[in-house]
Amino acid sequence: MKSFVSFRHVLVAAAIAGGTGLVSSCKDYLELDPTALNTTEYTFSTVAGATAAIIGAYDPLSGDYGYGQRISLYFPLDSDELIGSAGAPADPRRQIARYAALSNNDDITRCWNQLYQGVERTNICIQQIPQMDLYTNGAAADTAALHRLHGEALTLRAQYYFELVRNWGDVPAQFTPSVAGQDFNLPNADRYATLSKLIDDLLTAEKLLPWRSKAGAANERITKGAAKALRARIALYRGGYSLKGSTMQRPSDYRDYYTIARQECAQLMANRTEHTLNASFQEVFRSINELRTESANEIIFQVGMATATSGSGSKLGYYNGPRLNASPIYGSSQGAVTIAPPYFYAFDSTDVRRDVTITTYSIPSSNFQTGVPLAGTSAVTDGKFRRDWHNPAVPGTVNYLDYNWPVVRFADVLLMYAEAENELNGPSQSAQDALLEVRTRGFGGNRARATASLTQQGFSLSSKDQFFRALANERYVEFGGEGIRKYDLLRWNLLETKLTEVKANIEKMAKGEAPYDNVPLYVYYRTPSAIGNIQWTRSFYRPSPTPNTAPSGTTRVNWRQAINAAYVANTKPANTTYVITPGAAVETSIGSGLAAEYVPGKGKELLPIPQSTLLSDQALNQNFGY
Amino acid sequence: MKKHLLLLWLLLSLTLLASAQQAQQRRIQGVVRSTEKDETLPGVTVVVVGTTNGASTDGDGKFSITLPATATDVTLRFSYIGFLGKDVKVGSSENVNVTLSPDSKTLDDVVVIGYQAVQRRDVTGSVSSVSAQQIKDIPVNSAAEALTGRLAGVQLTSAEGTPGNLNVQVRVRGGGSVTQDNSPLYVVDGIQIENALSVIAPQDIASVDVLKDASATAIYGARGANGVVIITTKKGIEGKTVVSYNGFAGFRRISKTLGVLKPDDYLNYQLERSKIVGNSSGGLPTFKSLFGSTNFTSDTLLRARNAPFIDWQDQVFGRDAFQQTHNVSVSGGVKGTTYSLSLTRNNEDGIQRGSDYVRNLVNFRFDTKASEKLRIGMNVRYNDQGTNGAGTSTSGSNTTSRLRNTVQYQPLSVPKANGSVVDPSAFDPEFFETSTLVSPVVAIDNEYRNEHRRTINIGANAAFNILKNLTFRSTAGFDITDINLSTFNGLYSPTIRQASGGYANKPFATITTTTQNTINNSNVFDYSTKVGLHSFGVLLGEEIYEQINKQQFIQTNFLPDDITAERALANINQGVLPVGQTSQPVLPQTSIPQNYHLLSGFGRLTYSYDDKYLFTGTFRADGSSKFPAGNKVGFFPGASVAWRISKEGFFQDVEKVTDLKLRLSYGEAGNNRINDFLYAQLFQAGSAPYSINHTLVLGSSATTLPNPNLKWESTTSRNVGLDLALFGNRVQFTADAYYNTTHDLLINRPIPPFLGYTSQLQNIGSTTNRGVELQLTGTIIQTADFTWSATANTAFNRGRIESLGAGLNEIPGITSGWAGTALSQDYVAQVGQPVGQMYGYVTDGYLTADDFSGYVPSTTPGGLGTWTPKVDRTFVNDLGLIGENAYRPGLIKLKDLNGDGKIDASDQTVIGNANPKATGGLNQQFSYKGFDASVFLNFVLGNDVYNANKIEFTSNTSNTNFNNVLDIMSKRYRTSEADGSPITTLERLQEVNKDANIWTPTRTYFLHSWAVEDGSFLRINNVTLGYTVPKALTQRAKVNTLRFYVTLNNLYTFTKYTGYDPEVNTRRSSPLTPGVDYAAYPRSRAFLFGLNLSL
Repeated sequence: MKSFVSFRHVLVAAAIAGGTGLVSSCKDYLELDPTALNTTEYTFSTVAGATAAIIGAYDPLSGDYGYGQRISLYFPLDSDELIGSAGAPADPRRQIARYAALSNNDDITRCWNQLYQGVERTNICIQQIPQMDLYTNGAAADTAALHRLHGEALTLRAQYYFELVRNWGDVPAQFTPSVAGQDFNLPNADRYATLSKLIDDLLTAEKLLPWRSKAGAANERITKGAAKALRARIALYRGGYSLKGSTMQRPSDYRDYYTIARQECAQLMANRTEHTLNASFQEVFRSINELRTESANEIIFQVGMATATSGSGSKLGYYNGPRLNASPIYGSSQGAVTIAPPYFYAFDSTDVRRDVTITTYSIPSSNFQTGVPLAGTSAVTDGKFRRDWHNPAVPGTVNYLDYNWPVVRFADVLLMYAEAENELNGPSQSAQDALLEVRTRGFGGNRARATASLTQQGFSLSSKDQFFRALANERYVEFGGEGIRKYDLLRWNLLETKLTEVKANIEKMAKGEAPYDNVPLYVYYRTPSAIGNIQWTRSFYRPSPTPNTAPSGTTRVNWRQAINAAYVANTKPANTTYVITPGAAVETSIGSGLAAEYVPGKGKELLPIPQSTLLSDQALNQNFGY
Repeated sequence: MKKHLLLLWLLLSLTLLASAQQAQQRRIQGVVRSTEKDETLPGVTVVVVGTTNGASTDGDGKFSITLPATATDVTLRFSYIGFLGKDVKVGSSENVNVTLSPDSKTLDDVVVIGYQAVQRRDVTGSVSSVSAQQIKDIPVNSAAEALTGRLAGVQLTSAEGTPGNLNVQVRVRGGGSVTQDNSPLYVVDGIQIENALSVIAPQDIASVDVLKDASATAIYGARGANGVVIITTKKGIEGKTVVSYNGFAGFRRISKTLGVLKPDDYLNYQLERSKIVGNSSGGLPTFKSLFGSTNFTSDTLLRARNAPFIDWQDQVFGRDAFQQTHNVSVSGGVKGTTYSLSLTRNNEDGIQRGSDYVRNLVNFRFDTKASEKLRIGMNVRYNDQGTNGAGTSTSGSNTTSRLRNTVQYQPLSVPKANGSVVDPSAFDPEFFETSTLVSPVVAIDNEYRNEHRRTINIGANAAFNILKNLTFRSTAGFDITDINLSTFNGLYSPTIRQASGGYANKPFATITTTTQNTINNSNVFDYSTKVGLHSFGVLLGEEIYEQINKQQFIQTNFLPDDITAERALANINQGVLPVGQTSQPVLPQTSIPQNYHLLSGFGRLTYSYDDKYLFTGTFRADGSSKFPAGNKVGFFPGASVAWRISKEGFFQDVEKVTDLKLRLSYGEAGNNRINDFLYAQLFQAGSAPYSINHTLVLGSSATTLPNPNLKWESTTSRNVGLDLALFGNRVQFTADAYYNTTHDLLINRPIPPFLGYTSQLQNIGSTTNRGVELQLTGTIIQTADFTWSATANTAFNRGRIESLGAGLNEIPGITSGWAGTALSQDYVAQVGQPVGQMYGYVTDGYLTADDFSGYVPSTTPGGLGTWTPKVDRTFVNDLGLIGENAYRPGLIKLKDLNGDGKIDASDQTVIGNANPKATGGLNQQFSYKGFDASVFLNFVLGNDVYNANKIEFTSNTSNTNFNNVLDIMSKRYRTSEADGSPITTLERLQEVNKDANIWTPTRTYFLHSWAVEDGSFLRINNVTLGYTVPKALTQRAKVNTLRFYVTLNNLYTFTKYTGYDPEVNTRRSSPLTPGVDYAAYPRSRAFLFGLNLSL
């Protein structure tokens, strides 16, 4: 027996360890600290914790369902500038582009969810940060940091809600964090009230935020300029048209908001050391494509992207931009966003913005730029985000180039100023100067040419209405591919007009009618034998020769020829028949072209509220027409 | 808590006092034999009744016992496992020869019902048991496999045929939870152990008792709702040391392969398909490039058609996989002390190339009677196992499935159009481009996966008899598991070649390290007394349970192209960022540790009157750290009564009935297998990254909308049971009927996303399971030379979702996900229906010549024409769904259920149910002289299997052009003549297709009723034939037993199922998608030869 004594000791010791040693008291025993997770109190007890929460609040801006692809490249299309991926509206992205979205559209649902995720994260920060002891009683550096974070949260929330309102209209709005036991059945909130609240918030935010120059090294975080520019933008929307029920309406107090916009823009324009126009239009986008900053800080607020993942990266330049096909140097891209053919001719031939905004080439496995047709698939695409501009070049098929998405640029501030000033005071000198400043940059700094071309294109700055026409055109050519045009047209109540106009222009191009009678049927480029910019051998502005065979050393591509009867038919709702000229074959639309299913008065100016939200919120009503 | 400490010290000091001297004055000796075969019995316990004086028989059955000379009127009690005990009055004689007869009644078995063991005849709840005797003939390496089909009401479904058989789903009476884990609780020798079946060798199991109804499981409270599996390991027997060896070796061979198209029809089909696709990608140009020509009658294609068939399934699964198991055990004991040491080694090659399983297991158990009042014991188990091979399936979608390469890779190797010849066992980038397939041999050789799992279980127990009827027992144990999972995907792994994967076609490696630690301690007082006809028992106890699981994960992408798995894993920091990549996409991470404490108090009260009326009441209070203050404690009561009708006076005359007992029970148990800290709003650092200056900054965010009202998911169960024993226990029958209600289900209820979260975990809704279980055991023939005994069981369970909370009628959007996003919802869980209903379209044949009026030739030379639909036919438009542009003969048709003329999501309906109508097993054991045999059958009846393999293997989508298809597609509807030219008349269509019985392969993935198959099967699971060498021969070599046997495992399966095997469950991450057969590791048949030897 004795030999077992030591064993018994071991045993008893083990029993004690198990039974009592680890337990001090029953109550404490059941209280565990989640060491891998932080409570709200802990998170908001330090500046670092609050900063991490703000970074978390920025996060929903990026990735596939933020501005990395869906909100930036699906939602703003189709308009009279660009066409989302050609094809019938069977899949989610084409449903959106063809104005035939269904309420179970997965892309719409996920973006909606992600935007509200952003709202919730900012709501938590907006509630918690001002309550922090350091916010009022901390050292100067701490209070300054926390005030900035507070301002960032308010601005971010405004951006999230603004994106929701402009796409969905009267969306549920809550400005405090969600809590268990709250009312889960929120009704549609009046958009005017929501936007007014955002405009008020941004006024608070801009007081909390530092100017860019006081915010350390340049980066994508929000500064005072961003809050001001966004406030101006939201004010213009608040004062613009939007779809109420089946009709486009504008609130009667709209001038108040134009005043706010004008004021904010004026203040930004008075601080040119913070943000101003970059002398080079191309440099603004080159900087994005080369993942660096640009010296003028023209981009006031941009969404940061990185890591080539669906959560934090962006497909800008992969999904859109010129189509690259297995180029050993530049890799592959989808080239899914093509232009509305008349957009090419909306640019003056000397406007440097055209060849930045539009690309006329693709890059196959030879690495050489080769010409593409004006329309169809594998056609002329948008160009502000291009894979072949990536520095250094990225071969392979990686889908994420992580280009930032510019939310608002100084050019927009100038044009918003011009617009608000014209609306309030007519085409005053300051309004004209602001517009012409943007346009002059588009003509390489040649103000004379910028002014002259305006007249040549049939615009005038002389009256309020004429000025507005010129302004609308200036925004058209300045912001192509930046997700701005569709929403501009909506707030101006010009979507119907301009979609009708662009479709009519497409038809004119197909028929070779004025003003497109000089547009060539075919264009020719020098057959490339080296890496370099594509060399077109004839003007895009004079008819192609007869015979039209390609001269030696050049290659022919379809230009106006690409716009055939089927292309025109497909811009009409599916099953619409179209005959281009009497006696020609009857073409039946498959609804695959520009805004094919758009019919005014059907409520398609707004997106449908996702089915999943309606199912779980009994108080919420679907938008008209869905 | 301090009380325990005190008691333990008390215990210790008392033991030291225990010693006594005995005088040797009288000796009784004798031999114990078996009545059956006239064998001597070693290890029989012999005790002098009324004392603790005892001995054991030696190897020749001899015993000797000494008594004080004063002892008169001595009675010796002989007891031996598997034999009926016997009391023998000795009187004054000195020689006693005794015969014991084998125990055919399990009624006298001991059943462990949680913190104590009781006689089976006293059990009032519902308990299924299996003893070592029943599984001794099953030479398998997996304990779960050994138990399959043997326990009524316990369904064990092995997910697939991987070596080691590690993924077995265990469900006791269906499982009540819809969204949470339905795994039972495992208790091994009194200690709660996670996934015990995977760390115990079948050879070490003495008995398994499964507590099924809540009156039995309520004693385990919050962990008992899914049943409790109590495993007792073998212990030594006092007496002679027994050294035994059990070994078997043999090989496994795939039990079924799938037929695919041979080169000639493969080429014909692909050419036909390419013509339809035309000149776009995946069409004619690709065909020409791959196979040299698109001219049907060209010499090139004629040669290609005659190219040798490459049977990839044979190359991948064709080997005879060797396996061997060796188990050596030494057990024995001296008076009051027993020990058992068992060493097991398993070596098992998988039938799949490059897969194997190795396990080393040590099991040591030691029990001693330290004094008259104190018994202590300990056991230590060490399990070290390694599994190699990436297998066939993943929890991801088809882009990372591996089986598809094996079934669908091109079945031939011919020169390409450019003259190059790709070695069939080398990577072919062009074929990958069009098919997303890699030669399966290349894929396997480029993927490395090794899981190394080490488990240490240490347990100790002490029992102290404070008073004659009062015992204190303390049990403590540790369960420590370390899992190291290493994976490597080399240059030609299909995984790294997904464009969206972010791998940039470069190898990557991952290492996942998981540590699971649990500590469990229980202390109970057990009191029993008998006053006249009244027997009372009281059990009072306290228990703590702690679990801490930690996991670390590292992944490095962009490893050098030519690196090997070993080199990559040995130094994982060898990634070189490709151009444009600013950082490694996956940062090292530690997962949120699982960490929870459970503190419980419990009690059991038993009362019986005259062994006629029995009552058991249990109660448990569990406090859990998983819930917020106020909801921490849950109460779980249970009660059961039994009425032994056979003891009633009016029943005494029925002589054939040995025992008849009626049981009734009611109880409540909880399920706490949910995540920790769900009740509080918590920020997860790193969960919300945002990039600043193109560098990721890790932000933090609140990940869920907390629910401070969370509480246990609880199951109320009601059971009525009947135990019947006939003919002196020769036939035993048990029947149980139950009705379980699981309420306060934890469901991630969809909430309006404007809240910032799309769901919140809430206690809503309820489910029910009702069913009947029958078990029949009998010795059919028993003669001196021949016995035939059989055990049969069957169970019927019906589950139903009763409620999902107000306003929610269905858990939305359940998808099994095998096809990624290409296939949306394919399961539904609706109120009023069971979980596991397959949801899809109804197959409606295919378009034939009868649906068309004529053929319009193509305007372009050589192009395919179009077929004009008959004007009187209104086609249901399914073109969008099936991925076609125009109607043509041979296209699949689906039923337009809502009659709107088109096929869309609203035409889906319930087309299958994964729940079986009945499950069961039949075990028969025979012995004739030295020969023994057993046949074990198990069956599952009336369930459906979602044969996703079949959908994938009969489709060529735009991403899977040129994939081979199953040979059932040789009977597809064709639009080409035998010479490859297009059919242009309806008459020829009819003529050519007179034997056609299936559509042409589809171009998209969608679930339709054709792919939902009856999964019923009857499996001849095991046939064993053994021969025991007569003792007369072996004893000369000092060998006690020597038996040889041969076994066939998984001999044959009777089923109508067309896939590899109907017992399958591959989408296991959610309980909502059972019964999917997608890329399962094919099952094999084992041929084994074994040897049992004991000295």
